[in-house]
Amino acid sequence: MILESAAPPAANAALAVEFVMGVALAGGMILARRKRFKAHAVCQTAVVLFNLVVIATFMAPSFRHGVLPGIPSHLGRSYYLLATAHGVLGIIAELLGLYILLVAGTKLLPPRLRFTRYKPWMRMALAVWWLDLLLGLATYLRWYVRLH
Amino acid sequence: MKIKNLFCSLAFAAGTVLLPTSLMAGDSVTITNEVKIDNFSFGPQTVTVTVGTKVTWINKDDIPHTVTSDSKLFASRALDTDDKFSFTFKSPGTNNYYCSMHPKMTGKIIVK
Repeated sequence: MILESAAPPAANAALAVEFVMGVALAGGMILARRKRFKAHAVCQTAVVLFNLVVIATFMAPSFRHGVLPGIPSHLGRSYYLLATAHGVLGIIAELLGLYILLVAGTKLLPPRLRFTRYKPWMRMALAVWWLDLLLGLATYLRWYVRLH
Repeated sequence: MKIKNLFCSLAFAAGTVLLPTSLMAGDSVTITNEVKIDNFSFGPQTVTVTVGTKVTWINKDDIPHTVTSDSKLFASRALDTDDKFSFTFKSPGTNNYYCSMHPKMTGKIIVK
């Protein structure tokens, strides 16, 4: 009995890219701990912005085609539940990342919308991102992998 | 006489049982117009039908699949478990198709 993936190349590529981005974010955190804040900012910004491209080109079309027709009626099934949870948490993680970029890297937001304690926000964003990454892996396994 | 009748009856019964089996053994045409989708595969993978036949796909897998022809002749929406999709073939030819969500899943409808 072996596991076999029926995933299209785009899904394999998206999974690989998402893991590389997750590792890069963790690497960016290490840069911050070593006080290399400029490199940290560049690394995290690149990941958050590149993730927008992945969402637009692969995640969103895949969700619209494969999941949206089945919700909310089939939300009780793991196929839809995992993908929906992954999608919702992914949007939260991405929005959180963009918000942190706006606060930490620009002066676009008014003072009342800005935070001053960076660490809790960034740690929360990283945790949400990695949790979503694991949900993405679970979704991949549920959608594409079978016992053969 | 009774023995002869008994022999004839046995021969007839044997022929009745064996005849369909012998027909099936030499038959290369799949006599069905229904394709079952299960465990990431179409079954039968190749179906031969005549012009005007309506072929129905039924998804028995626990995840959605699609039925999409290579030539764009037909394309289903995402079929959930127990959902069906039908298409009537109006001209002869070979129609290769696949699942757009799992492109390794392929099948073929030969229309004669």
